Amino acid sequence: MTVQPEVRVHPRRGVARVDSLLPGLGPQITVEAAVAGLGDPLGLLLSGPPAGPDGEGLESHLARWSELPPLDGAGVRALLRASALDGRGGGGFPLARKVETAMLAGGRPVLIVNASESEPASHKDRTLCSQRPHLVLDGAALVAVALGIDEVVIHLHRALGSPVRVLEAAMAERQGRSIADPRWSISTGPDRYVSGESSAVARYVAGGEARPLFTTIPLAAEGPSGRPTVISNAETVAHLSVIARMGPDAWSGLGTASSPGPRLVTLTGAVNSPGRVLEVSGPATLGEILATDGMSTRPAAVLVGGFAGTWLLGDDAWQTPFSRDALAAVGVQPGCGLLGVLPHGACGLTETARIVRYLAGESAGQCGTCVAGLPRLADSCESLAAGTFRKRGVRKMSALADTVLGSGACGHPDAVVRLIRSTLDVFEDDVVRHLAGHACRAADHPPVFAVPEPVLAIGRDDTREWT
Amino acid sequence: MTAQIRIDPTLCRGHAICALFFSDAVDLDQWGFGKVAVSVIDSERDLRRARRAAAACPNGAFVVTGADGSVDNGARRPRRLRVRAAR
Repeated sequence: MTVQPEVRVHPRRGVARVDSLLPGLGPQITVEAAVAGLGDPLGLLLSGPPAGPDGEGLESHLARWSELPPLDGAGVRALLRASALDGRGGGGFPLARKVETAMLAGGRPVLIVNASESEPASHKDRTLCSQRPHLVLDGAALVAVALGIDEVVIHLHRALGSPVRVLEAAMAERQGRSIADPRWSISTGPDRYVSGESSAVARYVAGGEARPLFTTIPLAAEGPSGRPTVISNAETVAHLSVIARMGPDAWSGLGTASSPGPRLVTLTGAVNSPGRVLEVSGPATLGEILATDGMSTRPAAVLVGGFAGTWLLGDDAWQTPFSRDALAAVGVQPGCGLLGVLPHGACGLTETARIVRYLAGESAGQCGTCVAGLPRLADSCESLAAGTFRKRGVRKMSALADTVLGSGACGHPDAVVRLIRSTLDVFEDDVVRHLAGHACRAADHPPVFAVPEPVLAIGRDDTREWT
Repeated sequence: MTAQIRIDPTLCRGHAICALFFSDAVDLDQWGFGKVAVSVIDSERDLRRARRAAAACPNGAFVVTGADGSVDNGARRPRRLRVRAAR
């Protein structure tokens, strides 16, 4: 039987794109840039109608996607290698390498799907788990097959609104299906920012506190439980369930050479619908992504990759494709895919100061650099924003940032330093103006980013909710 | 020989004894926490010094790792200390 590829026309841009759900499509298909919201047929993960509060049911999921093809461990590992699926939690580490490291290490590996999404403004994993729980579970089951295990832990924060109930319902729905699922368990941990870091998740699931670990051996080779521990982001495994159905080449073709496959982004800040999740395929630029949300003019600046991300001037960002290479060329990593828009008239220094204060409060409090360094960096950022700084202060702040860089157990302090460096770089004119003692033009601008209060809970028994 | 030295920042409390034993390889930041300046060890003499520093660290933060990344501090006891470790 031959299947005729169905060609759809992009409703907004009028670009033809081959429907990607069909199997056996080769890598020769080049995809025009496309940005799809939830329910848009141009999307993959987000295609299909928006689901209710219980997420998409199994029946509807199978009607749209059909059963997973029967694959053995070697088959799934081949898919991972061929698709070059990279981690979507922020680090971008290829899942194939984690799985191979775990297989080489020997012993029974542990698989944890990290759906905690610590980034407060990011909503992609929450949206996936609450709207398309079966895509996440299908993908997790495939990674379990690749590792040769029959047990999967899905880790989430305890926060209100976390999709625990949806996932539990989806797991119950899958029982009694013909395809053997792994045994599922759900772990809920503290809501603190660093508690979603992979080694903190591994430590918590192994029975410890949700604080990052200092490791000399990769977690995939030996985790805190003594067993190889593979931790993968929820979006990453959801992509794997799509790869298994449409083939790695067709899936990779939906991205660019450096960033295979489509990517989910979350919009925040001065956008029409903060928290909106979009699926980006092909070499779509940041401008095209923001235009999907109805933005017609270039903003002052865009914060890319998360709260601990990198600033880009609006003019530079607008034409930059959202692919790993293109972003790297302007010194940016896609991170968790957060795009925070700073409007004209708001102060980037003030927003950065609020974010740095939040991140300083959200450290695990383990390493000297976070305990002693980050609060002082936050003080400096606030002084700079308030205009009570002198030139020497900026030099001191830069020196402090150099000290902090690379001296923590996890990447938390490094990310804060990256944010501060890009702030000093991108908002150079504003820095000069603030140092000259002129009043900030944006002094009475309302806060742009919804920065939450720091979460105090981090221990195992502390069940304080994130309000 | 591909031994490396690492300092576990979650354990380091800034006693700075490693910097006394192995000053070439350790920088101290403004609060006294150690930061590894040269991590790869390429001589027997340096390996001895690194193991001495590891044995002297009161928090076990200073570690020497072998080729596979596992901790290999050696069995050597620290030479008699000229400084007394703070409790």
